[in-house]
Amino acid sequence: MIKVLFFARLQEEIGKESMEVEKAGVSVSDLKKWLAATHHLPHMTQTMAAINENYANDDDIVNEGDTIAFIPPVSGG
Amino acid sequence: MEDRYARQQLFSGIGKEGQKHIREKSVLIIGAGALGGANAEMLVRAGVRKVTIVDRDYVDASNLHRQQLYTEQDAKDNIPKAIAAEQRLRAVNTDTEIKGIAMDAKADNVESLLEDVDLIVDGSDNYEIRFIINDLSQKHHIPWIMGACAGSNGMSYTFLPGETPCLQCVLPSMPDVGMSCETSGIIAPAVQITASIQTTEALKLLAGRWNDLRKKLLLFDVWQGQPLSINMFHAKKADCPSCGEQRDYPSLRYSFETKLEVLCGRDTVQIRPSHKKEYDFSSLEGVLEKHGKVRRNPYVLTCLLHDYRLAVFQDGRVLVHGTNEVEKAKTIYHQLLS
Repeated sequence: MIKVLFFARLQEEIGKESMEVEKAGVSVSDLKKWLAATHHLPHMTQTMAAINENYANDDDIVNEGDTIAFIPPVSGG
Repeated sequence: MEDRYARQQLFSGIGKEGQKHIREKSVLIIGAGALGGANAEMLVRAGVRKVTIVDRDYVDASNLHRQQLYTEQDAKDNIPKAIAAEQRLRAVNTDTEIKGIAMDAKADNVESLLEDVDLIVDGSDNYEIRFIINDLSQKHHIPWIMGACAGSNGMSYTFLPGETPCLQCVLPSMPDVGMSCETSGIIAPAVQITASIQTTEALKLLAGRWNDLRKKLLLFDVWQGQPLSINMFHAKKADCPSCGEQRDYPSLRYSFETKLEVLCGRDTVQIRPSHKKEYDFSSLEGVLEKHGKVRRNPYVLTCLLHDYRLAVFQDGRVLVHGTNEVEKAKTIYHQLLS
């Protein structure tokens, strides 16, 4: 089980702050693709990820018990 | 006003020594909107030696709920933000040399401003210019402090060349769908917190307290109170084209074509001519008066057409308000201005 946190606009698009999924062992990019397909999130490829509060690259693996946060770009100013 | 920095230097993080450094430093702020204005006011009050602030837009009534440097009169008169900001900041602190520049910040014109700059503060609202700032920061070895906000969200990160990852490492492709103030709205507290975080980091850098810098990307939601700090160490890429060993600064490749750009969510197209133009506003007024009501100040001339509004800047840039269609904007531009 891994915990997925959503920030900013993603939270609005998906309608919740977090969810738990049985996806331990997948890469960050595969998790992004899966979320994009199952939850109709068109901009996941441009989303930054952090595993346990450390920046994560697309080929990093999400392990059992990890918390992964997805942060879409905020551009305003 | 001998005592004006007394309370600031009494704070142990700054001290007399730190204040002396602050008084010697020069800061370039890109963007004079909400974040740029809030950062500028705090840095000018703090006594920075020189603040240069660049912006391409003029004050609009929809800015006033969050852009603290501007008044209703500035919006009525369509004063360029850089000009209105300079006037306001000069009234705040005569110790600081203040330069407001009304221009569309691009690689070439920003690079020409960097000579004595110690720090760049991001007050912009898009990633195109942030990637340019990032490359200039790496090329000239100047730190920059990113800030972005929309809705009730804000984020900030301090980029230190040679030390931290750069923006290109963090975001290998430029986001084209960032959360903006036009699509998600914006509340002033999200601006103020983001700017306060940026200015705090700026004060540490300017006062020479590098060890005190935050080193983490900070994100928060001021409405829901959900902060997140991310350790960015893993983001650094050895083959990064902006900060890696083989670098070619991809965002500094100049383009000399006439550039049309849809300003996201604003129902506006910006047209930037290939060469700098200088309009004679009085003769242009004569031409445009036949098409619609013209108003002008020394910096911007606006013309209210039937379905559109044109804003012509001294440097040749034109904003066509009332359309998102590049072709339509181009047609209007060529019919009326070329």
